[in-house]
Amino acid sequence: MSPEQGQGSQGIDLGGIIVAAALIVLGIVALWDTTNMADADSFVFPRMVAISMIGFCILFIALQMIAPSIGTNEEAGVVGGSSLRRIGLVTAMVLAALLMPWLGFLVSGALSFAAIMLLAMYDQWTPFRRLVFPVVGIVIVAGFYVIFAELLLVPLPVGSLFG
Amino acid sequence: MNKMAVAAFALAATFSMTSVAEYPEKSVNYVIPFGPGGESDITARHQQSFFKGKFGQELVISYKPGGGGAVGWSQLNRMTPDGYNIMGINLPHIIVKPQQKDVGFKTDEIVGVYIFHYTPDAIVVKNDSPFKTLQDLIDYAKANPKKTTFSGSGKGTANHLAQVRFDKMAGIQTTYVAFKGTGKAVTALLGSQVKAEWGYTSVGAKHADKVRMLAVAMDERHPKFPEVPTFKELGFDLVSGAYRGIAVPKDTPKALQQKLSDMIGKINADPAFKAKMENDGMALLDIDKAAYPAFIDKMTDVYLNAAREGGILQ
Amino acid sequence: MIEYLLQALTPFHIALALGGVIAGTVIGSLPGLTATMAVAVLVPITFTMPPASALILLGAIYTGAIYGGAYAAILLNTPGTPSAIATTFDGFPMAKRGDGDLAVTLACLASVVGGLVGALFLLLLAPPLADVALAFGSVEYFWLAIFGLTLIAALSKGNLLKGLIGACLGLLLSTVGVAEISADVRFTFGSEVLLGGIDVVSALIGLYCIPVLMDLVATSDKHLKVTHAPRGFRLLESLKISWRYKFNLVRSSVIGTLVGILPGAGGSIAGLVSYSEARRTSKNQGEFGKGAPEGVQATESANNATVGGGFIPTLVLGIPGTPPDAVILGALLIQGVRTGPNLFTGEGSIVYTFIFGLILATLLMLPTGLLIGRYAYRTIITVPKAMLVPTVAFMTIIGTYAIRNSISDVIIMIVLGVFAWILNRAGYSPSPIVLGLILGTIAEQGFVQAWTIGSATEDLMGMFFGRPISIAIVLFIVFTLSYPMLKAYLVRRKEKSHVA
Repeated sequence: MSPEQGQGSQGIDLGGIIVAAALIVLGIVALWDTTNMADADSFVFPRMVAISMIGFCILFIALQMIAPSIGTNEEAGVVGGSSLRRIGLVTAMVLAALLMPWLGFLVSGALSFAAIMLLAMYDQWTPFRRLVFPVVGIVIVAGFYVIFAELLLVPLPVGSLFG
Repeated sequence: MNKMAVAAFALAATFSMTSVAEYPEKSVNYVIPFGPGGESDITARHQQSFFKGKFGQELVISYKPGGGGAVGWSQLNRMTPDGYNIMGINLPHIIVKPQQKDVGFKTDEIVGVYIFHYTPDAIVVKNDSPFKTLQDLIDYAKANPKKTTFSGSGKGTANHLAQVRFDKMAGIQTTYVAFKGTGKAVTALLGSQVKAEWGYTSVGAKHADKVRMLAVAMDERHPKFPEVPTFKELGFDLVSGAYRGIAVPKDTPKALQQKLSDMIGKINADPAFKAKMENDGMALLDIDKAAYPAFIDKMTDVYLNAAREGGILQ
Repeated sequence: MIEYLLQALTPFHIALALGGVIAGTVIGSLPGLTATMAVAVLVPITFTMPPASALILLGAIYTGAIYGGAYAAILLNTPGTPSAIATTFDGFPMAKRGDGDLAVTLACLASVVGGLVGALFLLLLAPPLADVALAFGSVEYFWLAIFGLTLIAALSKGNLLKGLIGACLGLLLSTVGVAEISADVRFTFGSEVLLGGIDVVSALIGLYCIPVLMDLVATSDKHLKVTHAPRGFRLLESLKISWRYKFNLVRSSVIGTLVGILPGAGGSIAGLVSYSEARRTSKNQGEFGKGAPEGVQATESANNATVGGGFIPTLVLGIPGTPPDAVILGALLIQGVRTGPNLFTGEGSIVYTFIFGLILATLLMLPTGLLIGRYAYRTIITVPKAMLVPTVAFMTIIGTYAIRNSISDVIIMIVLGVFAWILNRAGYSPSPIVLGLILGTIAEQGFVQAWTIGSATEDLMGMFFGRPISIAIVLFIVFTLSYPMLKAYLVRRKEKSHVA
């Protein structure tokens, strides 16, 4: 565990508090949205849940203020690493989804595959890899396309630019 | 969007009479806006085998569930309008939903080419229920307002609107308990959680060994259940049910729409298809492309009045 | 009986069972492709077959798909199907520390045991057990969902409050979109993207898989630790472990069968309930969540037992026990087969031939599952990172899209994944959120229905606390919640008496 993850037995759990505060806001927004539901069947349950969530969040924050040592976490997952690559991965995936209606599934899928491959590359680009990786990538994308579109009959987007 | 319109126009223009004559030349994608295994799926599956036999091409069923059909219908007009993309439509859903809130589509934006059947509403009770006739149930409900509980599939649905309308006609007050889908509503009835169910004739067919129907909401008695009276016979003008049809993206060439309408009519006219559907407790209906707008107008009045009375709409 | 067994063992039926299991396992292992879809895709093929053969094929695919879900759960921390959620809890930690091969083999053995137990109940006790499905009313489902939520205590490592907050968030997310029964549009804020609600499977992929991918791409570390040279199937080791925890296997299988009978519960709940039971009764409670083999066994045996269990109400009552059963029931209807108790007496040949076919398929799962599992494990550990990450990312996109043919779902999946990564950082684990999301609809519908019926009959208390099964579940909830305290108290007393 890295020391930069500042939530040992001392100190307050700042991340936890920020999330709890954000969820209180979310809970209030949800409560406000339930006011335009006409049917009791629709709003009883969400209201109950939103109120409980706000309650737990307030309790959590209060406990952190009074006695931060109570109930700290054992683990916090992987820390460090390249944030840029993380953002790149998410961006590539979101773009693939957003462009799909225009570029079609195959093209946007292949583009995001290539982008993520570059992001995930930590080894040297030897001539062999330069040649083989893209080919394997195309085979994988095309293979999945065939499985889903032809065998499982999933209507994948064709893309309005080409359709 | 503009580009789409141009593309659609170009597509329509290039459609000569011969290509209409040759339609379908490849498999047709039939989208069901619900999950697999429901009644919409099963009726589509019934059509599927006849489609292949009559027109030589596959009818490929895929599912786009979500929002009680709203997800599918809100995307209907964005599908490629080439006649090879069609979608199932359900009444009262496409009429009631857009009136409640913005669900991404409007009733008049849906271009229906055929309403091919309906599953009539029916009041279903368990075999051992003390209610032998509809009158028994009405008498009990009069003596015990609100205590007569009915299970049914969803709210703003055929079952629910039938309950609202019948309560008014019979001058009774009953409690409607909404379940997710007919299967769960039947389970609640069989488990004696509720006294009766607002279900369909298909429930009577499927669970024939455990349930009876007190009345069916049809013009005439259902051929499979000659012993069950209609509401009309008993003095209640209630003919209703879950209607199912087929719609196309709005820019689909008119000639193709007509051809599709004729094709579905041909499937409906097949005695084997009719027998299969009726054996499942459904009733065929022939509202073709020409009759569709008037039918929707008529049903809109009926449903919206009931929905307003039921407090589903303000 | 023997004649039905022989009918099930014709070469055609053996081929169907084998092909079905292989196809199901592969489909189930792809995140996003659920057992329901696998079955639905193959329904048209069965139109031309006799009913018993159709059932064998569909049953084999179903059972294979439920098992296949374990691969992605163990190797990628992504449940391939919702049934495999609880498999990730211990399966992925096992894989992380280099025991992925062992986990896969254990999952295979457990699945076979669970599948057999479920099928035996179907064979021997179907008509009487079907009544269980009817005895469970709305209020019982509500309490069952609450019982499922008690698992939060186990999942929210260290901080119960954070777990509760996460569960509430999940419950709230389950209400987004057009409400399933009241048909109201909730929390979409005018957006069409949210109209269909948050699909459980796409949420699972996002919450579990995206954080793994984000951390995978950020460093050059290997995805799974490989400490040893390849060790084959590790079958002997797995058999020993399975024998040591045989009671766990049997208990989980029985839980799975019973939960499978309940329409509307399904494999995910079966896995979660039996996981929680396995953890509660285990001597190695501290190991759970860190790679306890018992956790993998409990979930995998339970979810495969739901296959046989789910067929009980499907075939006896015509009420589908699980979502794939609904599809199979539809296929039977089109074949003209009427379900009902007389299917077990009158038309015995169809049903018994099918059950023997299902047992055959379950047994065939052992060799095929082991082989496919080993191949999957080898692939995951040997593929270079620059291929693994884009392939998995691509799979999450295509898999999520395929659930409802919706690009909105893909976007929701990615957004939820990023949130899960951030929440993880702040010490909120994704599992309570998932739990809330899955149990939310069951809890809400059960509550609203019970409340409506209770108010109509003017007996709200009796509705929630008066029915025998409800009382039993409520007592069990109280017991489960107080058990850790009770145990700690007993231990303390024992220590005291030792000192004294």
